[in-house]
Amino acid sequence: MSESEQELARDLGFLEAYTIGLGTMIGAGIFVLPSIAADAAGPAAMVSFALGGVVSLLAALSLSELATGMPKAGGSYYYVNRAMGPFFGSIVGWGMWAGLTFASAFYMLGFGQYLLPLLTPHIDFLASMSGVGKSVAALVMAALLTGVNYYGVKETGDLQNVIVITLVVLIVGFLSLGLFSGPTIGEFNPHGWPAVAATVGTVYVSFIGFEVIATSAEEIKNPSRNLPLSMIAAVVTPTILYVGVMFVSTGTISLDVLANSEVPVKIVAEEILPGFASFVPGLSPSLLAAIGGTVMILGAVLATISSANASILSAARVNFAMGRDKILIDWLNEVHSRFRTPYRAITVTGIITLVLIAVGVGIGTLAEVASFMYLVTYALVHVAVVVLRRANPDSYEPTFEIPSVLYPVVPILGAAACLGVLVQMSTNMVPYTLAVGSLSVTVPFQLTVVGMIGIVLIAFGVTWYYLYARDRAPSQSLVGDAIAPAPTTAADGDGVYRVVVSIANPETERDLLRKAAASAHAHDGDAEIVAVNVIEVPDQTSLAQDLTFEEERVDRQQELLEAARDVATDLDVGLRTRAIVGRDAASAVLNVVEEENADQVLLGWTGKRSRRDHVLGSTIDPVVSRATCDVTLVKRGAAADSDEEVMVLAGEGPHAPVAAQRAAEYVDATDGASLTLLNVQPPAEGDEAAASPVEEGEALIENLIERADLTETTYETRVVVEEDAEDAIIEAAAEYDTVCAGATRESAISQALFGSLPERLGTELDRTVVVARGSERSPMSIRDAIIKRLEG
Amino acid sequence: MTETLTAHLAVPVANDEDARATAGALQAYEFDRVTAVHVVEKGGGTLDKIPLEQAEEQAEEAFEAFRDVIPDAESAVVYHTDIVEGIFEAATDLSASAIAFHPRGGSRLTQFLEGDPALKLVTEADRPVIALPEEHDE
Repeated sequence: MSESEQELARDLGFLEAYTIGLGTMIGAGIFVLPSIAADAAGPAAMVSFALGGVVSLLAALSLSELATGMPKAGGSYYYVNRAMGPFFGSIVGWGMWAGLTFASAFYMLGFGQYLLPLLTPHIDFLASMSGVGKSVAALVMAALLTGVNYYGVKETGDLQNVIVITLVVLIVGFLSLGLFSGPTIGEFNPHGWPAVAATVGTVYVSFIGFEVIATSAEEIKNPSRNLPLSMIAAVVTPTILYVGVMFVSTGTISLDVLANSEVPVKIVAEEILPGFASFVPGLSPSLLAAIGGTVMILGAVLATISSANASILSAARVNFAMGRDKILIDWLNEVHSRFRTPYRAITVTGIITLVLIAVGVGIGTLAEVASFMYLVTYALVHVAVVVLRRANPDSYEPTFEIPSVLYPVVPILGAAACLGVLVQMSTNMVPYTLAVGSLSVTVPFQLTVVGMIGIVLIAFGVTWYYLYARDRAPSQSLVGDAIAPAPTTAADGDGVYRVVVSIANPETERDLLRKAAASAHAHDGDAEIVAVNVIEVPDQTSLAQDLTFEEERVDRQQELLEAARDVATDLDVGLRTRAIVGRDAASAVLNVVEEENADQVLLGWTGKRSRRDHVLGSTIDPVVSRATCDVTLVKRGAAADSDEEVMVLAGEGPHAPVAAQRAAEYVDATDGASLTLLNVQPPAEGDEAAASPVEEGEALIENLIERADLTETTYETRVVVEEDAEDAIIEAAAEYDTVCAGATRESAISQALFGSLPERLGTELDRTVVVARGSERSPMSIRDAIIKRLEG
Repeated sequence: MTETLTAHLAVPVANDEDARATAGALQAYEFDRVTAVHVVEKGGGTLDKIPLEQAEEQAEEAFEAFRDVIPDAESAVVYHTDIVEGIFEAATDLSASAIAFHPRGGSRLTQFLEGDPALKLVTEADRPVIALPEEHDE
């Protein structure tokens, strides 16, 4: 996908991302939970809600860094799986899925609780069966929502905005009227602080929604700014509202009445409103109360439906990501050919939700299990940030980082907070004696029901890993690298920076060697170049036989390598040559790269794309896709007259820093050469009060200079403002002698090995074009890391 | 100046199955240039039905299936909140001479739930629309 296409796919600005987050967060919890929370902690449940907000805020910071570093579907699951491998991936994947399913069931039961009082006055037979009635209502609505998502009935952004705005207005109205009527709080903390902490676990379900913003990271415009901002806003807004609602509720009606109500917000509204009857002439206090109660019921109905809907969709996204990483069968992720929905994943989630409602697990337990699974998830998310920061893989380049004053405080505090709440909600400080015959063991605590269900669900994830995922999902844990971080250069351990150059053409070899020498010179200490030439021998002839007949080719090989040695002497750089006769040039070069522990491999490219069998060429394709070190591809253009002007594309791609390093190396090694960093920005949109395109481009270049560690280098910057980035780049590039670009895509699939833009540059420009890709080292195992640490 | 109807066809494809059927139906006829178009349906401010990554996978699979039958076909991915509008936009960007599509049939109910894209495609297009018949078994 080219960069301009990527822009089109991003259709969420700050406001949209914020409303998506609010849409899942707001409402459902606050309409249902006040009674449960008041029962557990009294008015001090306000503190529980506030603490829930703090825990979420910490998680939002860590998630923002991870989401901008790896904008992939799956959110937390993906980050944990990537950083810590499929063992934890299985736990978090299943945990999130279970959490979302339990949350959906919770929302639906809440829906039933609120809907019934609306219906019972009018439908007689319902009144006699209110206990069953709310479960039936919950089941019907859950089935309906599953159907809606199965058929992919179109929900537009406008509808979502209407829902969110309605809810915010309702709750703000409730709050202001409630505050005006002068609530009085009785005993603030009747059950003590441990109860308050445990209640954080109960109410946390109303905070799990903001993660949805992270899972949409690849659809957010300007994610480095909008993603963290919208996440923080989507946590702070509901937190304030929740605390307020709790204050008004506990201050308006007695704790007993509140705790026993299934429709807490409705009865509070009915209590508040008659006091305002004098302001509304013509309405009796009782009528006003009835109106208020009904409005709150409608709000609750809207809120629970909207939250459950988002949960079902999010659950399907987790399934998709697990399937992609082979932790789950991909069968589940089939997209319906007509409705374009992940219909199987949605059906399964829907069925489990229905089962959970039907089984009759208490509504409080449903909420707590959902909270439990998400607290486990966020605890691991905080660990994942630390692992990724320390391991620092090349593909991890977050555009938002936790500010340095807050790191590692945020992840450590965040993980500790999650664990603290988990312990509080899972245990009762009642001694428990386990007696087997005459032996008895006394443990100082008992597990709560939630603790037991949560542990069973985690055990399920672990079992799943051993029985299914372990053999299928590639282990890619970075924990080893985090324990013993590798130095950035000379990672092979022998301290020599080695460039392997594949030479085949006497006309281009000098130029290739010059570039290799530039890279070698830039690395302090020992550096050397290994020049390789391969004589390819067709399969049907034996290697020895062919050699005798083809003395001419051998002579040419010798000439090539001889010339390479001369060039090396001129450039004052160490060079070894390797003459190879083999079946296949690509595997021969790859072998040399491996044997020599190369840090960079340099290849020439004709600047043509071969359509069918290969993308860029029979030797280039395999080397690019399989070499784990840096790869540089050089297309030689017209020779520079005197002062060579080198330009590097300063984009946001993962390999832009490598390209910038290469460019700087070439400029350093050439007299009179100059370096320009070029960035192209689309013109500013009128409505958004963002930074001007030029400033934004300058900031990106600045950022790149830091990432590439080029702060010592002299360079010029240039920002072009143009709608079509690709065309603008091609046009600007023609003004320079040499153009360096980073590979834009990470994996080598299908049509483009390096991404379409670098390849277009190579094919369309008659300049020297250098395409660079960073190393793709396979991660170190934990065992190797510990050994390395101990030796070190 | 009159234009050849088949100078450049924009051909919407939904997934691999649909792409194969469409390419099979198109293959029987002569045309100069063809671009397979896949529209990724965006939510426009709400959660998309499927993650972007999965949507783009669908596009890739559809194009591959299409090229299995018509190797020279070009391809284009469009992002739009409305599938049919997206097809029109792509046709305009490509300066396509016509849109050729393969109706997917199905019951009235299915078509209703889909929002009947075929009807909208035919009635609201700003250029010729060609409906391809079922492939003949010969």
